[in-house]
Amino acid sequence: MTDQNKRIKDYFCKHTTRCTIEGVKKSKRFVGHDVLKADAWDKVTGEAVYPDDIFFDDLLYVKIKRAVHPHAILKDIDISQAKKVEGVVDIVIAEDIPDVRQFGLIIRDQPVLIAPGEKMRYMGDPLAIVVAETKEAAKKARDLIKVKVEELEVITDPFRAMEDDAPDIHPDGNIVITHHLNRGDVDEAFKNSAIVEENRYQTQFIDQLPMQNEAGVALYDERRGVINIWAATQWLHDTQADVAQSLRLSKDQIRIIQPTIGGAFGKKEDVSVHIHLAIAAMRTGRPVKLCFTREESMITQSKRHPITIINKTGVDRDGYLTAWETKFIGDTGAYASSGPAVVHKGMYHATGPYNCPNLRGVSHAVYTNNTYAGAMRGFGTAQGAFAYEQQMDILAEKLSIDPAEFRLKNIYQKDSITPNGQQLTHSVNAEETIKRVMELSDWKGGRK
Amino acid sequence: MQITFTVNGEERELEVTPYTRLLDLLREDLGLTGVKEGCGKGECGACTVIMNGELTASCLVPAPQADQAEILTVEGLGTRDDLHPIQESFVEAGAVQCGYCIPGMILAGKRLLDENPQPTEKEVRYGLSGNICRCTGYAKIIDAVMMAADKLAVEGSDSND
Ligand code: FES
Ligand code: FES
Repeated sequence: MTDQNKRIKDYFCKHTTRCTIEGVKKSKRFVGHDVLKADAWDKVTGEAVYPDDIFFDDLLYVKIKRAVHPHAILKDIDISQAKKVEGVVDIVIAEDIPDVRQFGLIIRDQPVLIAPGEKMRYMGDPLAIVVAETKEAAKKARDLIKVKVEELEVITDPFRAMEDDAPDIHPDGNIVITHHLNRGDVDEAFKNSAIVEENRYQTQFIDQLPMQNEAGVALYDERRGVINIWAATQWLHDTQADVAQSLRLSKDQIRIIQPTIGGAFGKKEDVSVHIHLAIAAMRTGRPVKLCFTREESMITQSKRHPITIINKTGVDRDGYLTAWETKFIGDTGAYASSGPAVVHKGMYHATGPYNCPNLRGVSHAVYTNNTYAGAMRGFGTAQGAFAYEQQMDILAEKLSIDPAEFRLKNIYQKDSITPNGQQLTHSVNAEETIKRVMELSDWKGGRK
Repeated sequence: MQITFTVNGEERELEVTPYTRLLDLLREDLGLTGVKEGCGKGECGACTVIMNGELTASCLVPAPQADQAEILTVEGLGTRDDLHPIQESFVEAGAVQCGYCIPGMILAGKRLLDENPQPTEKEVRYGLSGNICRCTGYAKIIDAVMMAADKLAVEGSDSND
């Protein structure tokens, strides 16, 4: 093994919990044993290297000038004053990078820099990349960039965004995607139900809030033509591919090195510092660093989708679900990110872990001028859970039966079929779980 | 301006500007990157150091205020091969996840045990209340501090023998 290979193996052995330096032994090492986390030693001594901890001697600092309005046409950008700040090395605006392409996880709808004549769609949209010898100089120059804008209607509500007379945030309209779900005869089943209950639920934006903000360092190796980027990502190869296509480079020219990650929780699925760093590194030929502040991270990077859920649920005299109709509308903010998948998955979980023979659903991801929403643990299902469990409680009350018993009647069993048609063939312990919770909590039928 | 202070037992003399944060001085000028920045607003505790015996959010301290101070960061506590009992307990209790809050948590734990070597669980919770762990491993972090108290008690009684 070459030294380089050993170092890489050593790195991965230390920085993932999936292997040991001694090599892979036969199984039974982990299950039923206490396993010490392989990188815990690095983390309790302060030795672990997170993106912000990487320094080079001739490091330059990057700051991003961001949108000044959530929905406006950029009329003019003036960097003349900013350029005069001592220590400024480069200020990049859209006209400097005409060939750079948009990026995005599922739909490539995010611009690298907004050009005059184009629109800023939320407060995180980037207008200029400032590179300077110190953080202070970069900040000072960023704040001296002047922009003129023509303000447009700001859309913060997806229902407004779906109206015919609402301005289009993106050229193809404000509904990013529509998914449907159909099984059985919902109308007939509602007609024959003892009780039908319809309610509207609303969840809010949530920031995933990893302790470590988005940060990274990049270094352009001109002789090899490779850009090295040390920055956290949850999709190493997708990020590599997206950065490469955006810069019109081949994938092997983008090397993404994953330092220790200070948490992600979905927020680090999207490209953050990567492309701006790559551009700054190529243009200056020096190592460059970009660290978001907490405010910048909150304004710029993804959130959990706020979702409006309209659930209509039917039940028969005996307390069995008969039909379920759901509308699942996700505010995906200015860009699609994971939105198309989040609303899809959320809709498929509309009924939670409960059997229901007749189903109808529609889900949309909708553009607004809010900060864009993407992935966060559960991917749409956490929002749905709030809504379907409320439906179950309300129906139990109307039927005058114990909400736990009502759930037990309808709970998934082995061979149940989920709304997306998957037959559950093993490991369905939901009934046992409910019974155990009833036992442990000394359940008294929901009465105090 | 010039300041003199002791970091992890070593006296240092440094040139600082009035607007340099102690956090940046430690991380960038002294390379003590075990001090983390989570919020820059005194809310999260990731940047915790022990300054003159007190838990201090280094993101809120202008560097000139550290003149003549004595500062301990996680790097001054123990090394990989010679971990401090608190560090060892964090490893053994499984208290470490992404690790970003851990240096601050460890120092908060140390400050607590220095003052109160046999804390109740409630006192541990209170002692760590200035530190956020987003990976939410609080139960195990509390276990780790309780475990460290026991380890230190045994060590203490050994040395008294
Ligand atoms: S960074 Fe200082 S308290 Fe959060
Ligand atoms: S271990 Fe990740 S924030 Fe505490």
